[in-house]
Amino acid sequence: MRDALAAGAGPVARASAAPGPQRTERIEAELVPMSAWAVPGSTAVVAIRQQIKPGWHTYWRNQGDSGGPTTLTWSLPAGVAPGDILWPLPERQRLQSLMNYGYSGVVFLPVPIEIPADAAPGRSLPLRVTAHFYVCSDEMCVPEDLDLALDLPVREGAAPLDPRFGQAIQDVVAAAPRPAGIEARVALTDGRLVLTAAGGPLAGAAPRWAYFHPFEGGVIDHAAAQSGERGPQGLTVTVAAGRGLTSNGLKGPISGVLSTDLGAWEITAEPGAALPDVAGDGAIGDGEGAQTAAAATALPDFIKAAVFALLGGLILNLMPCVFPILAMKAASLSRAAHNPAEARRDGLAFLAGVLATFLVLAGALLALRAGGQALGWGFQLQSPGVVAALALLMLAVALNLSGVFHIGAGLQGAGHGPLSRLPGVAGAFFTGVLAVVVAAPCTAPFMAFALGAALFMPWPMALAVFLMLGLGLALPYVLISLNPRLLARLPKPGPWMETLRNLLAFPMYGAALWLAWVYGRQTADALALLFGAGLMLALALWLYGRAQAASGKARTAAIGALLALIAALGLGVLAGKAPAASSESGAPSSRLSSQPWSEQAVQAALAEGRPVLVNFTADWCVTCKVNENTALSSARTAQALEQANALYLVGDWTRRDDAITAELQRHGRSGVPLYLVYAPGRSEPRILPQLLTEGVVIDALKDAID
Amino acid sequence: MFRLLTAASASLLLLAACQQQPAASLERTESAAAPETTEAPGPGELAPAFTLVDAEGQQRSLADFHGKTVVLEWTNEGCPFVKKHYTGAMQALQREATADGVVWLTIISSAPGTQGFVEGEEAQAWKAKHKAAFTHLLLDPTGEVGKRYDAKTTPDMRIIDPEGRLIYVGGIDDRPTNKVEDLNGANNFVRAGLADAKAGRPVQTAYAAPYGCAIKYPETVEG
Repeated sequence: MRDALAAGAGPVARASAAPGPQRTERIEAELVPMSAWAVPGSTAVVAIRQQIKPGWHTYWRNQGDSGGPTTLTWSLPAGVAPGDILWPLPERQRLQSLMNYGYSGVVFLPVPIEIPADAAPGRSLPLRVTAHFYVCSDEMCVPEDLDLALDLPVREGAAPLDPRFGQAIQDVVAAAPRPAGIEARVALTDGRLVLTAAGGPLAGAAPRWAYFHPFEGGVIDHAAAQSGERGPQGLTVTVAAGRGLTSNGLKGPISGVLSTDLGAWEITAEPGAALPDVAGDGAIGDGEGAQTAAAATALPDFIKAAVFALLGGLILNLMPCVFPILAMKAASLSRAAHNPAEARRDGLAFLAGVLATFLVLAGALLALRAGGQALGWGFQLQSPGVVAALALLMLAVALNLSGVFHIGAGLQGAGHGPLSRLPGVAGAFFTGVLAVVVAAPCTAPFMAFALGAALFMPWPMALAVFLMLGLGLALPYVLISLNPRLLARLPKPGPWMETLRNLLAFPMYGAALWLAWVYGRQTADALALLFGAGLMLALALWLYGRAQAASGKARTAAIGALLALIAALGLGVLAGKAPAASSESGAPSSRLSSQPWSEQAVQAALAEGRPVLVNFTADWCVTCKVNENTALSSARTAQALEQANALYLVGDWTRRDDAITAELQRHGRSGVPLYLVYAPGRSEPRILPQLLTEGVVIDALKDAID
Repeated sequence: MFRLLTAASASLLLLAACQQQPAASLERTESAAAPETTEAPGPGELAPAFTLVDAEGQQRSLADFHGKTVVLEWTNEGCPFVKKHYTGAMQALQREATADGVVWLTIISSAPGTQGFVEGEEAQAWKAKHKAAFTHLLLDPTGEVGKRYDAKTTPDMRIIDPEGRLIYVGGIDDRPTNKVEDLNGANNFVRAGLADAKAGRPVQTAYAAPYGCAIKYPETVEG
């Protein structure tokens, strides 16, 4: 841990300032505008948007007992003048016997900027700032410098809010504590600071709690509880004085923010006798409970993410991409149904397979992301090699279900020793592995939130969230296999089982074909290699099956199987190494006329007053394809798009695309599908559900032009 | 059969429990915070007695240095605010002070396993590693002495006069940043306090708000 700090605290490499978010391991920051453009001779508002890793904090103007405030060093064109940060009310962050005032999660620090009257409309002002953050956790503090840039366009005429964060910044500016005509006095008695405040919004108000945040350190004992009392004209707050006051005495006015459940205001208290009518109506607390409930978000966030992950995993079973896996589960369930012990073993092995695979995939994802790679959930299917291997695997499973060959058939005939159980257990485990590898790239409702949140959690929590997702996915099957009464309701074993097995082979053939199609779109002209490999694999497995049936006599068949298998492997390896298609080829297969997504395209359309529908999709995402072939391809949807004069943008994530990964993350997602509807003049897009209906899309588009 | 399920749920519970633990200890220190902070000694009061083991394993008591001016410095080599001062300024001040006959005690109150904690050979090497010039490096892994003095941050400073009274309490200077360039032009309250004491004047600034990293006290220590 000390080493990590040594690395983090060294001089920060100054990336050449480019607009857009800048990030370190602990914090992401971006300089963002409140309004779409700046008007000459006016005050524009920009903000430092911080996204702080859970467990870490940045600080208010008075940091409290440790850490330090965020400071900004501006570099602005001549005549452009920055104001002071409009500090939002900080959280109270207790650290053992210390109290800090700071921020966690996402926070905006707005700054007013004077735009000179001679700023030329049509040009943009290059705003550059070096933000110095103290980013601290309970264990350590790391100073971080980030160079941020924003090119703010200059135009005449009233500027609308910037569609991205304009509304959020306006809300922060509106809520930032400011003077409100409150009169205040302060006195120092017996080591306690007695603050009385009256008038303005306090007159006649009945706050439930009050807390004083001084602007300077040493004024109060930050960690001490504050006791309050309410009166008809205002309130009294008493708190242990800070060492600065007890050592040096009360020598001048004390300024700070008085925060209550009714609002927070900036006050300046002159030394003097207590104001009248500010006590006598009952004691009030300092709102510590109310505050910590809001501040300590890490644990509730984790629980929420875990619960959502469990629900998401359950719902995942109903998503189109899991269908082939359901077939495999049904096949194995029907086999084991009337042997409760075996069913239980299979169920648990399946669960173990699901959980182990989630652990491996999530671990790899977290490790790669920690290494700086912009990847999201489902990243494994962005590699053509993996897709080719899975296609061949699906083919093999399908051939097995068709009865072309058997896995461990010899052992099964050997009797009922412990060995005979092995194939069943291994098979169930393997089914679990396959379920996750193929099905998990789909995101389901609830799951999206959980995954998005998990990627920003400390890794043990993140892995726990992924495990909950796996538990949810496996749960229905595990519950059935653990419940003898449910199992007993399944039909008795018989010839129907073989028929069902053979029938269920077809979804697997379908899955193999789908993966081959994905592979074909990911690579340039290598599909023939994959088909060749598939053909050879099928031949090999058929020969292997023959050898099994002939129980050892058919040596030629076995040799043939081996040769065919080698050929299949060779072709498979070649297919896996096939060069990736360039991203221009293979336009997304949606039937509405669309353009490729880019942030600029969204902004341009919004500037023209057009609504925008964005579809983030990938060929390997079956849910995406189902939506595109139903809700997004209907004539009524096309008509609604035309009526709204909306632009339809498609972001294709079939291959790795860091810009799309970043955009998904901005909306708290780590996978596709994601559907956004932007309306001109509204700050944030509306996020549509992951299973679209025609009605949802049409309503959202209508809503966007209202 | 249920071993797998049990193991999975047990590890999940364990994870959840780990997350809850800090919250629980938070509540405890909260209730203890109010009385504790008001009783810690301020400027003009007697410095609480203590005995700690130094980096070489020798016991050192504050009483051993009665009749001399003593500086207490809380430190944590991983803290960016400490690193700023250890670019040379802190060492220079230590040299000046000790040359004047001042006893300089540098104290590490980091709990084992937390940032800044050292023991054994690492503790012995600390002085050379940082080219420091203090009199002794004292190890306070239980945090008791730090809490007794209400030390909050690293760096956090105290000056004790030859009679054992605190004559300076608080931050090292008036630039609460980690930036080395801020050492220039900063008002170093410890240097000023030592100069006042040497000249027989009352210390002009007897308290300044300490700044820096929170001291990594063990979670179990009560004031």
